[in-house]
Amino acid sequence: MSIVLNKLKSWEGFLSLILISVILVNSLNSESFLSIDNQVNLFELSIEKIIVALIMVFIILNAEIDLSVASMMGLSACTLGLLVESGIPMIPALGLCLVIGAMGGAFNGYWITVFKLPSLVVTLAMLIGFRGLARVLVEDRSIRVFPSWFESLGQQPILGPIPLSIIIFLGLLILALIILQFTGFGRYVYIIGINQNVALYSGINVSRVKLILFTASGFISALAGILFAARLGAVRGDMGLSFELDIITMVLLGGVSIFGGSGSIYGVILSILIVLYLRNGMSLSNITGHVQTGVIGVLLILSVLIPNLKKMIQDFWNQRLK
Amino acid sequence: MFYRKKITLVILFTMLIGSIAMGHTIAKKGLRADLVLMPKFLGILVFDQANEGAKEAHSEMKNPGKLLFLGPTPENSVAGQIEILTTATTQGQDGIMISNNAGDQIAPAAKKARAKGMTVVTWDSPIPSSDGEQLFIAQVDFNETGTVMADMALNIIGPSGGEFAVLSASPDASNQNAWNAAMKEALKAPKYSKIKLVDLVYGDDQSEKSYNQALALLDKHPNLKLIMAPTTVGIAAAAKAMQDEGLCDKVKVSGLGLPAEMVSYTMNGCAPEFALWSFVDLGYLSYYATYLLATNQIEGIVGETFKAGRMGYYTIEKDPTRDKGMRVLMGPFTVYNKGNVEASAK
Repeated sequence: MSIVLNKLKSWEGFLSLILISVILVNSLNSESFLSIDNQVNLFELSIEKIIVALIMVFIILNAEIDLSVASMMGLSACTLGLLVESGIPMIPALGLCLVIGAMGGAFNGYWITVFKLPSLVVTLAMLIGFRGLARVLVEDRSIRVFPSWFESLGQQPILGPIPLSIIIFLGLLILALIILQFTGFGRYVYIIGINQNVALYSGINVSRVKLILFTASGFISALAGILFAARLGAVRGDMGLSFELDIITMVLLGGVSIFGGSGSIYGVILSILIVLYLRNGMSLSNITGHVQTGVIGVLLILSVLIPNLKKMIQDFWNQRLK
Repeated sequence: MFYRKKITLVILFTMLIGSIAMGHTIAKKGLRADLVLMPKFLGILVFDQANEGAKEAHSEMKNPGKLLFLGPTPENSVAGQIEILTTATTQGQDGIMISNNAGDQIAPAAKKARAKGMTVVTWDSPIPSSDGEQLFIAQVDFNETGTVMADMALNIIGPSGGEFAVLSASPDASNQNAWNAAMKEALKAPKYSKIKLVDLVYGDDQSEKSYNQALALLDKHPNLKLIMAPTTVGIAAAAKAMQDEGLCDKVKVSGLGLPAEMVSYTMNGCAPEFALWSFVDLGYLSYYATYLLATNQIEGIVGETFKAGRMGYYTIEKDPTRDKGMRVLMGPFTVYNKGNVEASAK
């Protein structure tokens, strides 16, 4: 009993409670909420964001941030459109986009590890840089050139009702869980996040870990951009604009500390579900636009406020007891 | 033998007359259809006006179903439109009217909606490829828009000629693109040879961005005589920018604007002439077409004629501005100037 109680007191427990209430309210509000179609749809509508959120967990755990992810998504989607339009076959074009993603990510990592520049600054610059490049590449138009197999891969289910993008997400989720919980690399990620100097003096190759993470972040973002292009069947320069905010919101709401070192993938899974279900529930109740954005915003503020309040109250009591 | 042929002909002829007469569909009232009207995004006056028109038609039809007005926020327009369309499909809405701001990116979601038996009609701005769309309710003929814009430019700049620039909405609003293309085409005629289009910029239908873009145009082109903004947001922002900078004598503003928003600029000479159609009527007509399609009273094929309440008869035709796709053309334009703007602004 006390174990259950302790679990409920943790952040994950708190999120689970919110999640359960969101699911309850949604199911009562709309009969279509629990339908398989709707469940698949609500994941599909945000699949690119939640895929990138998985790698963002690693980056933020490492006490870094990558603001350039959404711009990289746009850049990779636009590059793909442009390459295919200029007659390059689909498969090499896809490969090239992923390489560009990894290189862009490594470029971020290079400035952060070699020149010790803050990731906030470097990736902010690349947020503008990648987006600018995407816009320059396709100019003010949309490109719609993809072969039908590519579009149906992005739009049609391939396993029962489940489309490829959701399978990729689940695969990456399991991979992220394993790496973070059961490998030495995962432990390095946490230790560097807790205290970079300690990690350095313990003989951890901090730069190498960071470089790997940022390269992976670029790669995954490019992959998400490709999936985005397949889902919409057309690309344009503003694809994924300001998605980075939603992605970071999900990770922080999941209890990952913005200062690094603490948080878990489980919490992020819960927060992803909360955000998606809340959005979907509001849409099904015909609440759109600014109200929807506002509710998610309030949720984020609470997610930062509540742990701090809790700590303040605890400290206060502890002092009284002394 | 001969008689038989004659009889056959008579029968065929009667059938033909009959089919034409039957083609004039007059809407049956009281059928249930849950419909959604989706603007490009929320907070734009003309879309609210379209909603007024749709509501008017909704109560006329005594439709026991619901009419919803759902739109995304401006920053989230593309993803938001796709999300609303997808959710509407899940909810089992009977029809949706889309002012498309997502280009062809909305086509997959529209096709899925069609596959579920939902009626998909676009208005104001169509799906460029027309994939997933049954019908487009065109406010005016897109080629005519080009000529009207070119004529206004010529009128304002004058016979001595000069430079002008276009301040458009977003790069993927297909209506805007079609109009700009039509205007460029119209400008090729010899009578426009002295007016020169020097730039095309986008203000994303956001007031502040449009305002800044208008000012940036002046820095880039010191000899600019006119800013042509085929968007109600852009034209008002540009006129305000010129007024704030005290430049109305030098640089005029024209395009597509709302009399209520433009009246002061027209009277003080910043925007001597602009054009528009009624968005209330556009919403009204879109509702009729969508209601008739959703309740299976029309099929949505070329040649069908239906009655849209107080607005009279309309015929579905092939859309000449797109390769595939059908349209219902509303029209016409009203050109506003000092003479008529005050009366229309009320």
